[in-house]
Amino acid sequence: MGVNERTKNVGCHCLARSRLPLMRSPQLQAHIYILAAVATVLSAVCVRAQNVQPAGATNHIVVIRQVHFNPPQMTVKAGETVEWKNEDIFSHTVTADDGSFDSGLIDPDNSWQRTFQQAGTVGYHCRPHPNMRAALVVQGTNGTGAAANAASRGGTLKWSPPTKAQELHPILVNFTAALLPLAFLSDVLGRIFRRQSFHHTAWWMVLYAAVITPFTAAAGWWWRLTEGSTLPAKLITVHEWLGTTAVLLFVVLAIWRWSIHKRDTSPNWAYLTFALIVVLALVYQGSLGGRMVFGK
Amino acid sequence: MKLRKSYLSVFTSAVLLVAGAVTAYAQAPTDPQIAGIVQTANHIDINQAKLALKKTSNPQVKEFANQMISDHTSLEKSVNDLAKKLGVTPEDSATSKQLKQQAADETKKLASLRGKAFDKEYASHEVAFHQTVIDAAKTTLIPNANNAELKSALEGAAPLLQGHLEHAQQLEQSLGAK
Repeated sequence: MGVNERTKNVGCHCLARSRLPLMRSPQLQAHIYILAAVATVLSAVCVRAQNVQPAGATNHIVVIRQVHFNPPQMTVKAGETVEWKNEDIFSHTVTADDGSFDSGLIDPDNSWQRTFQQAGTVGYHCRPHPNMRAALVVQGTNGTGAAANAASRGGTLKWSPPTKAQELHPILVNFTAALLPLAFLSDVLGRIFRRQSFHHTAWWMVLYAAVITPFTAAAGWWWRLTEGSTLPAKLITVHEWLGTTAVLLFVVLAIWRWSIHKRDTSPNWAYLTFALIVVLALVYQGSLGGRMVFGK
Repeated sequence: MKLRKSYLSVFTSAVLLVAGAVTAYAQAPTDPQIAGIVQTANHIDINQAKLALKKTSNPQVKEFANQMISDHTSLEKSVNDLAKKLGVTPEDSATSKQLKQQAADETKKLASLRGKAFDKEYASHEVAFHQTVIDAAKTTLIPNANNAELKSALEGAAPLLQGHLEHAQQLEQSLGAK
């Protein structure tokens, strides 16, 4: 009986192993369920968010009527949003004289908005009608950027679900930024203390990072596509491509880590070196992101 | 040499325009005639922009031509709406006939040109044409408009035409600099 049962167990184990290498124990199955749940929630959040028009609070309105910008000069505070409403019968653009922004053609009865972070005076005009000229004075707050501006306004503690890329990206970044360095640290600790549980933890964190990071990058791209003109051009170009590369690197890293996990060994130095490079790239990537939001 | 040629064409157009304006002023157009002149000017600019879209491969010229079609179509619609509202039926006049004749000559000239030569001629003619229309509006159309609404509509169109003039000047300059 005992022998029979053991044989049966082994057979079951082998079957499961040959079909799905991951489904080794109920504990691992639970991990997969959690992972699936996280992915579902995240994709639900992203789909919902994309359906909602990013309704930025408009602080000021410039009306375009009879081939004029009204008012022709306006003063706003850094971090405030200006909306241009085209109430004319012709299409117009809002184009910075220094090339720092361009609305593209705004058709009649449409509008365009932009948030201004950098203090200074910027003249703008309409490309099709160069005689339409106006200016915007952006007053700096005590600090620079959105954080300082939120501080000066007092901010709000009221909870509201994240609906804009500017809210989702920083939230998702937390997961990416925490999981990968911790996975690396966990592998290093596993080698120091020769404990396999550290390596198991590392594998799962690398997997989570590879699953979540595409969402982080998608939110980043969404931000870039909707409000990209408000971000420093040089920084955002590096940030967007480094971020996209990171998504691919994470997938490579996860596959590599999985092959190590499958053999139930601890990672070799080649893997750890690669992981360290990715972690350092991630730190640099994070510093670029911070610089764009909070200034130098 | 080329520069002198383009100046010459602007100058000639300006002379023609002043002459036209003077003639028109002497004849003091009526409101239906004013509406007719505006309608004709709109038509001319739309048709020449359509020709430009067919002939040019320069993206700046295309952008400008598309804008002329879009802006002048909107302007035409607003003029027609106003004329209907005021019960004014646009009429031909010496000025509108003269505009049409000049446009026919210019279209013939443009049709014979291609490539960069076409782009330059189109741009410099747009400069001259808008200058002509702006001057005609200032010296003839606005002062002679009887109906207050027509008068203010003409005054309202001035910044649009000025915008087109400046855009056309930019275009001409960028084509000349290349």
